[in-house]
Amino acid sequence: MRLLTHNMLSSNIKGVMNGFPLRLEVEKSVSKEVEFNSDFLRNMFPKIEWKALVDAARSMGYAELPEEAPESSMLESEEFLMKFHHALLELHLEEGALICPETGRRFPVNKGIPNMLLHEDEV
Amino acid sequence: MAAAAPRVGTEALQKGIAELYDESSGIWEDIWGDHMHHGFYDPDVQSSISDHRNAQIRMIEETLRFGGVSEDPVKRPMTIVDVGCGIGGSSRYLARKYGAKCQGITLSPVQAQRAHSLALDCGLADRVSFQVADALNQPFPDEQFDLVWSMESGEHMPDKTKFVSELARVAAPGASIIIVTWCHRDLSPGEDSLLPEEKDLLNKICDAYYLPTWCSTADYVNLLQSHSLQDIKTADWSEYVAPFWPAVIRSALTWKGLTSLLRSGWKTIKGALAMPWMIEGYQKNLIKFAIITCRKPELIG
Repeated sequence: MRLLTHNMLSSNIKGVMNGFPLRLEVEKSVSKEVEFNSDFLRNMFPKIEWKALVDAARSMGYAELPEEAPESSMLESEEFLMKFHHALLELHLEEGALICPETGRRFPVNKGIPNMLLHEDEV
Repeated sequence: MAAAAPRVGTEALQKGIAELYDESSGIWEDIWGDHMHHGFYDPDVQSSISDHRNAQIRMIEETLRFGGVSEDPVKRPMTIVDVGCGIGGSSRYLARKYGAKCQGITLSPVQAQRAHSLALDCGLADRVSFQVADALNQPFPDEQFDLVWSMESGEHMPDKTKFVSELARVAAPGASIIIVTWCHRDLSPGEDSLLPEEKDLLNKICDAYYLPTWCSTADYVNLLQSHSLQDIKTADWSEYVAPFWPAVIRSALTWKGLTSLLRSGWKTIKGALAMPWMIEGYQKNLIKFAIITCRKPELIG
């Protein structure tokens, strides 16, 4: 699971007021090279919750992203785009879990695929 | 709504659906490829298997056209959700077509893994991702997606109200919502429900395909209206999909089809045996292949 995906997942357990972002529990992570596409990155940037991405990247061991959400002028900086690209697309959570920030409920991630199914008492 | 109540509990239904697709997706893909939906055909044209794969692509394109989804670089969808994504055929196609990011959800872990492998194989895994999740409780925050796509998954939803409510919730302002699904005929004024023999036929199909309940196109329209969605359009495409089930039956009766079925499992075989009932349902104008599209209002100001 890439952090691009993580940035769009939330816990919708009944009664949870804010299930985003999910915390990461990392058992196995890998970094896989992905072709750099600056247009795609610039298109995605407005849709990214920046703090969620920074925190998730840090839990995967990558702390190079700026804490503060960058100004859009930073999108012209190749150096910034490379870091954004790496965090968003090249870091993978292969095994572990996503944790609901309110309830602590674990959603397992196996072979890179999160299982977000809720139990009957959670809907 | 005149739909029957779901006949099995939700977790049992989810398990049944997941197992059906865990068991049968491989065979389907082997013979039919990565799109697990009807093809769109010109009426009265004979088609070979490769024509059928093209017809499945055409189904996607006709659907997008009917739904008015723009290809304009400024207005095209950038984030897409594929609700009931199968092995990701639509997800990959849409992501490629629009240069967009797409997330697919399915109840079947086998499908999710296969969808992911196929995305890796064609170099789309950076933009297309799959999760095991429930369409009735989509694991996304509100208003995430510019295009909300449900291609032949609505049939599996036990609670159409919740299904539509989730589609509306995850749609961004200005997004297109597209539902292509099997419905039963609209009820006439004064009709409370389908005729008993009609219900019997649908029930047999329900059992085979883990369909909990059927509703009509009009029921979907009412649900979409209740969410103040705009530009609601519907069509009955039954005549454009008529060659599909006979083609699937023919493919099942080939040597490859039969041997694969025998090796598969009882759920898949039961599904195969139910295919003539689908044809009967269409011929009796009971089953409709419906498309329902709409738009979430833009933000004002």
